[in-house]
Amino acid sequence: MELLCLGLNHKTAPVEVRERFAVGQGRLGETASELRSLTGVTEAVVVSTCNRTEFYLAAHAAGETLELLEIHLTEKTELHGIAAPHFYRMEKFAAARHLCRVVSGLDSMMLGETEIFGQVKQSYQAALDAGTTAGVLNRLFQRAFGIGKKVRTDTSIQEGSTSVGNVAVDLAEKIFGHLKDSEVMILGAGEMSRITAQSLVSRGARSIFVSNRSFDRAEELATEMGGSAVRFDDWQRVLERVDIVISSTGSPHAIVRREHVEQARRARKYRPLFFIDIAVPRDIDPAVGEIEEVYLYDIDTLEQLADAARAKRLKQIEQCERIIDAELAKLNLPGI
Amino acid sequence: MDYWFLVAATLFALLGAVWGMVAVHRGRRSRWTTALMLLVLLCQLGFLGMRGEARAACPLADRGEILVFLSWSLTLFYLLVGPAYRISLLGVFTAPVVVVFQTIALMPGVLDRNPQEVLGGNGWHETHAATSVLAYGALALAAVAGVMFLVLDRQLKEQHLKSGLFRNLPPVRELLVSLERLLWMGGVLLTIGILAGFIMPHDNAALGHLIAAVAVWIGYAVLLGVKTVRGLTGRRLSLATMLLFILSLGVFAFI
Repeated sequence: MELLCLGLNHKTAPVEVRERFAVGQGRLGETASELRSLTGVTEAVVVSTCNRTEFYLAAHAAGETLELLEIHLTEKTELHGIAAPHFYRMEKFAAARHLCRVVSGLDSMMLGETEIFGQVKQSYQAALDAGTTAGVLNRLFQRAFGIGKKVRTDTSIQEGSTSVGNVAVDLAEKIFGHLKDSEVMILGAGEMSRITAQSLVSRGARSIFVSNRSFDRAEELATEMGGSAVRFDDWQRVLERVDIVISSTGSPHAIVRREHVEQARRARKYRPLFFIDIAVPRDIDPAVGEIEEVYLYDIDTLEQLADAARAKRLKQIEQCERIIDAELAKLNLPGI
Repeated sequence: MDYWFLVAATLFALLGAVWGMVAVHRGRRSRWTTALMLLVLLCQLGFLGMRGEARAACPLADRGEILVFLSWSLTLFYLLVGPAYRISLLGVFTAPVVVVFQTIALMPGVLDRNPQEVLGGNGWHETHAATSVLAYGALALAAVAGVMFLVLDRQLKEQHLKSGLFRNLPPVRELLVSLERLLWMGGVLLTIGILAGFIMPHDNAALGHLIAAVAVWIGYAVLLGVKTVRGLTGRRLSLATMLLFILSLGVFAFI
């Protein structure tokens, strides 16, 4: 029995090709059953996320089955001649190694991300429930999960935040701990503000106030986030109660000046206040950061921190791959 | 034997401090610090138990005993407060303070090597001594939390966010909340201690000590009052807590 993998991902295929091969969560088991019915195939697992679709099979002859699988998929998607250049094809050890890299987050768009681990687990569970796995794929996936955990524990591949939004949220948690007791004000209803505020809400931030020059746009975003819209003339009043301010207006000059914050300090009882300035030109006068209880971070600083985390993760790739190779060599898996 | 309990407590605290600092430097949590601090507490209890038996009273008869009692109180509050507020790193900061206090206690002449029975003991006197030193433990831990806040505040302000220490320090708000609760705890205990001090029989020689103790109490009362009514920045609260604690140690000069 031989192991093989055919797939495409964000590095090899554009979204218009990837979406044709995407398999919904509810159809993973069904698709795996369909693939197992192909000639020579004994086991099948289908992994499908927004960035990749991969088919792991155990078959009598890996080479022949890869060709058969490719024909089957292109016929199904009606992408004759278009899909082939976007596929990667792996056999035996290479396929096992690839799965371990995927599970460890080494093949992800955001290097070291952890979500993929759960997604592959769900895919395997769907195949298990559909009864399309046996000796080869069961051992492979179970070992791959073990190796994925070891890679994350023994290296810093998942340390630090690699996006501006996540860096801001991590900093907010360093200042306020659990965000469930924190209130957030968004100045400027732009896309970056929305993404950052959503990250804060996903980690429990309690109330969101949205203030924008266009009140309609503020209301729209506030409704989307489950918060309240504030007229742009009123943001200083709200400053007295919030803990975090995200600013991303298109203003050519500073919106928040030192005197605005000084006026609110007494009413705030000098509680810590975190400003996230993701606007260019900056919305918050740097002098605001000189106030004792204020922590001010602008887009450059947040990007530098995200870059540093990305660079640190990149340095870890070699070590992660050494762990994968060493662990795979120890296992003597069937099919490789 | 009591002496060796104290030596062991000091060595465990030293080990906890060094181990903790190395772990923090490497960006890891120091899992052993709490366990080592528990050993410190047990050794301190051994020391204080033996001294208490020898004195037939609360072991607070010389400066060495006061320092060990203070260290015990500090360790006790750390073990009570640290894990409850998920601020285990507090132990890494507490352990060196315990080492300093106990090392001073171990210096020749500070601790009476042959403790004698305290004659004419009085319940109010013991309440005064015990609650006051317990209060100092809470206030010392508040000062330690203040140091931690200042370190974290500086790192956040200067955007130096890569150190292991930064990753391990608890959030700003948690530090400030525990600091304030420790101040309240210390304040209440200190109030009981001072009230007991007024009630216990005392002569004119104790006047300086009482005045200093009342001055310390007023200092903490003003700090808590200002924090509650007007509010204070974390930096000012931390600095005031540290300064007041250092000044308050002067009370022991009048014993």
